[in-house]
Amino acid sequence: MNVTLFLFFGFVVVLLLLLFWALRGPRKLTKPEAGTHFLQETGKRHVDFLPQIRQALAENDSLYVFQNAPAFVARRVRRERRRIALAYLSAVREDFHNLLRMASLVARLSPEVVALHEFERIRLTVVFAWHYQMVHLQLRAGLIPILGLDGLSDLVSGLSVRMETAMNELGERAALAAEMASSLDGRGPHVA
Amino acid sequence: MGIEISKIQQILWAVNAAVGVFLLVLLAVRKNYRAFPVFSFYVLVNLALGVLAFFMYRRWGFSSLSSRRIGWGMQGAVICARALAVAEVCRHLLARYRGIWALAWRILLACAVLVLVYSSVAAGQVWERALLAVDRGVELSIAAVLVGVLLLTRYYNVQVKTADRFLAVGFCLYSCFVVLNNTILERYLHHYGALWNLLGMLAFLASLLLWTWALRKPQTAAVSQESLLPLGIYESVAPQINLRLHSLNERLSRFWKPEATRN
Repeated sequence: MNVTLFLFFGFVVVLLLLLFWALRGPRKLTKPEAGTHFLQETGKRHVDFLPQIRQALAENDSLYVFQNAPAFVARRVRRERRRIALAYLSAVREDFHNLLRMASLVARLSPEVVALHEFERIRLTVVFAWHYQMVHLQLRAGLIPILGLDGLSDLVSGLSVRMETAMNELGERAALAAEMASSLDGRGPHVA
Repeated sequence: MGIEISKIQQILWAVNAAVGVFLLVLLAVRKNYRAFPVFSFYVLVNLALGVLAFFMYRRWGFSSLSSRRIGWGMQGAVICARALAVAEVCRHLLARYRGIWALAWRILLACAVLVLVYSSVAAGQVWERALLAVDRGVELSIAAVLVGVLLLTRYYNVQVKTADRFLAVGFCLYSCFVVLNNTILERYLHHYGALWNLLGMLAFLASLLLWTWALRKPQTAAVSQESLLPLGIYESVAPQINLRLHSLNERLSRFWKPEATRN
């Protein structure tokens, strides 16, 4: 009987937590991490600042600073590099959420959706959230060596360019489709 | 006359009936029965059976066999009406989007069946309390379906009208409460009976007030569908987006494990 009590109470608690989460307004996607916030204010994407970022994360620069600069400067550099890494991580997340937003828009406006694609996207979202939190926590805790962050600049450079192209391409296609749909205004075979 | 009904229960019964009548009047005056015909029917059925139950219990008391049989029969009718009303609310929330709705109602139905199975497994084989277990299972399914539909609206960034949201929350909270109440009743059957009724009525009163608040203004009748994209767009864009999400994930996971990046 106690097991029954536990099973039902547990289930209801989970449901209430999910209900609360579902009723909350959508979360602000971009935290005011220094980098992305600045980029948004200036109206540029992070890809525009790629050369500077790549320089800031370059291993040679870091080694030079650690070997030649006083300790407090080296500490400051390490802090700054971590801040940049976090800002870029936010940028990656922003890109991910932009894609998700676009996907949900297309799904909303489609007469048919494929369950397989939708479930795959949910799976990818969960995996991304997990990876993001892990990387974020490790960066915050200083567990990822700053010198090893060169991989991040590669990540961002490749990603940003491809994402930018992809987003533009997909955005244009979606906008074109939306325009077509509205011009049909209920007369087309797939228009309600 | 059967067992005496406590004063508090009688007062609460009257209050519930009064709020129910007020809600019905509101539905009629604001013409919200056009937007929510099944919900209006549910409120009407609930009110009518409540009045019937009142007179039945006064006549035969709570513990007579006739009262129990008719009472559970009425409870079954009310739950069916509630399930239909919940389906209507789900339709209001998502049916504007044909593609998503076609997927969502299948998921929600599967979810309801799974939760029913879960309930029956979790309840075990206590045949003398089978009705209570079925009642609880259906209520749990209703709550799960409503949470599911609200999660889907969030996932797809669907704009939800305040009235629909309040109706869904009212149903969901009431169903959750009934599940907890029934579970406790099953455990402490002999000592909890009177309190079970009282708490159930209080929870329903809270839901009635929530629904009354939600429907205080006229609602639009039809679920108008959004203008849709041609079919091919989804088929070409969705796999591409998934591919890009996948590549983002892969890169992030490589960053998470830097030693793999260096290889």
